[in-house]
Amino acid sequence: MSEAARKFVIGTVLFLLAGTAIGWLYDRPAAGLLAAALIALLWQIRQLLSFDRALRTGDFDDFRQGEGIWEQIFSRFRYENEKSARRKHSYRQLLREVRKSTNAMPDGAVILNVENEIIACNRAAKHLAGLKRKKDRGQRVDNILRDPELTRLVHSDDQSLTVEMASPVKDGDWLNCRVVPYGADQKLLLIRDITERMRLSKMRRDFVANASHELRSPLTVIAGYLDSLADDAEMPPGWRKPVEQMQGQARRMRHILGELLELSRLESAGKAQTDEPVDVGGLFEEARSAFEGHADIASIVVDVQSTAQLRGNAAEIETVVVNLLSNAVRFTPQDGRITLRWRLDADGAELSVADTGEGIDPQHLPRLTERFFRVDKGRSRDNGGTGLGLAIVKHVLARYDAELIISSELGEGSEFRCRFPVDCVIVAPPVALS
Amino acid sequence: MEASGLGDHISRRFNKDIEDLRNHVLAMGGLVESQLSLAISAIVSGDSELGLKVAEDDYKVNNFEVNIDEECGRILATRAPAAGDLRLIVAIIKTITDLERIGDEAEKIGFLASKLAAMDRPSDSYRELKTLGHHVAHMVRDAMNAFARLDVEEAWEVVREDERVDEEYEAIQRQCITFMMEDPRSIKRVMNVTWCARSLERIGDHAKNICEYVIYMVQGRDVRHTAIPETADS
Repeated sequence: MSEAARKFVIGTVLFLLAGTAIGWLYDRPAAGLLAAALIALLWQIRQLLSFDRALRTGDFDDFRQGEGIWEQIFSRFRYENEKSARRKHSYRQLLREVRKSTNAMPDGAVILNVENEIIACNRAAKHLAGLKRKKDRGQRVDNILRDPELTRLVHSDDQSLTVEMASPVKDGDWLNCRVVPYGADQKLLLIRDITERMRLSKMRRDFVANASHELRSPLTVIAGYLDSLADDAEMPPGWRKPVEQMQGQARRMRHILGELLELSRLESAGKAQTDEPVDVGGLFEEARSAFEGHADIASIVVDVQSTAQLRGNAAEIETVVVNLLSNAVRFTPQDGRITLRWRLDADGAELSVADTGEGIDPQHLPRLTERFFRVDKGRSRDNGGTGLGLAIVKHVLARYDAELIISSELGEGSEFRCRFPVDCVIVAPPVALS
Repeated sequence: MEASGLGDHISRRFNKDIEDLRNHVLAMGGLVESQLSLAISAIVSGDSELGLKVAEDDYKVNNFEVNIDEECGRILATRAPAAGDLRLIVAIIKTITDLERIGDEAEKIGFLASKLAAMDRPSDSYRELKTLGHHVAHMVRDAMNAFARLDVEEAWEVVREDERVDEEYEAIQRQCITFMMEDPRSIKRVMNVTWCARSLERIGDHAKNICEYVIYMVQGRDVRHTAIPETADS
């Protein structure tokens, strides 16, 4: 019990006792007690009413100071009141700052609830996606941004999924969207303007395609003259070797340009459309027989564990096999062994090329599929190969939603595994109708 | 569902039915919008593969129409809606017909795009079709936005926009006639361009119809075949 409360209790008791004592002097102790109690009650009522008035008007300055315990209550209440007002003010300030900063964000952010209804969005979301902040509150976001891809995005649980969609506000602009869950059942839809990025990558693709195309015609002329020079019997013998070297390099350049063109075609082609059945075992045999005549290469083993066929474009799958195999041949010594394997498992199918060659340092693995990347810059230039093989493999696989997994150990050999998803595989080969 | 202003019902199931119906119509709208923009880019970029894909995918739009139609019939039969709800159902039944027609026109454009891709292209790569196409695609998008937001103002905007599309169509047609007179060998190609423009113009009309249903749904009055007010508050 606080000091004031004790004082209040003692004071009240003393006051009542005093009333009783005075009444007793006049031989009426009960009447004295009653009078004292009434006075005490009136005093309390007055204080109570005054407190009530102060509460209603909110005006604590113009309010008659209470006495005793009431003074305590008044000042305590006033203190709490001011404190909460101060706190509210600072919260409001903070909220304003937060809103200001989200509005300054260049990316659009939309807060969604579990039903994908819009709770709030920032200014960038308004500009990028055409959302209306007041009007669209409570609307489902896929009712306003109706791109089927976005609908798929907000209904999927896959956090790593991002979709690209055309801007509903400005023709030719592109947006990248992703969803981040947070808090209890809330989601944040992030919208980013990627127009510039799309434009740059298109420019790069176009440039590579145009440059390769333009370089090809002069090269054809050079190679043509070199061929007729090489066939000329009257050529001085000192020129024979340089001309042959020039011929070889011209052939190599033509090969590189061809692969660059193929790569840019694959890049702009998008998802594979054709779905003819591809016999992987047959492709393996063909690829092996192509290397049969060569004497100084490793032995090639074909290991086909399944008769399942692949749904895709035979020429493209062949490119994958030939590129992987020619890499393996190039980096495997004569006494080594190369295994071409095709097998099925629960998650799909796997086409793999394993060798017992020199292997690749793990630090180079992530960059292996980059164009023109070479592990050993000084040496492998003369090994043949254009530096584009694995990039082409990667792009072909991307068209089938397949994945390239590379594992390797120095000195032990490497394995390149292409994992195809289930829907790319035809398990039972179609039976021919008689 | 406070935002749509469709009100609450005693039966929460009814609320949910109506809400689902609305979501399906908007999803159908989204599909139609993307079909249309793919068809237009197939024409502009001369991509025959894309054009054929659009034509093939039209069955998805048709499926939507059949399903939503059935849903509407079921709600009418089991809930016997009145007033605003009845107007909503009636408007939806009409809206999906127009959406399906837009889908059909997009299919046609996709098919024509694959044909045009095989012929030699004019130097401007069909710029006027691109402009008209984007214009019309915007109208469809705004019409569906008006439907989602129950926004009468936006709906009127689209109705007014249709006149400008008609003018653009007229201009393209005149240009096409000039081409054909100048060089009779181009008639086959230019005829296809005319058909495309015609389809786009029809899509504009369908978008306008959808907006008229939105106005009917919100305000309960039929504004078809009436004069277009300058401002929406009339």
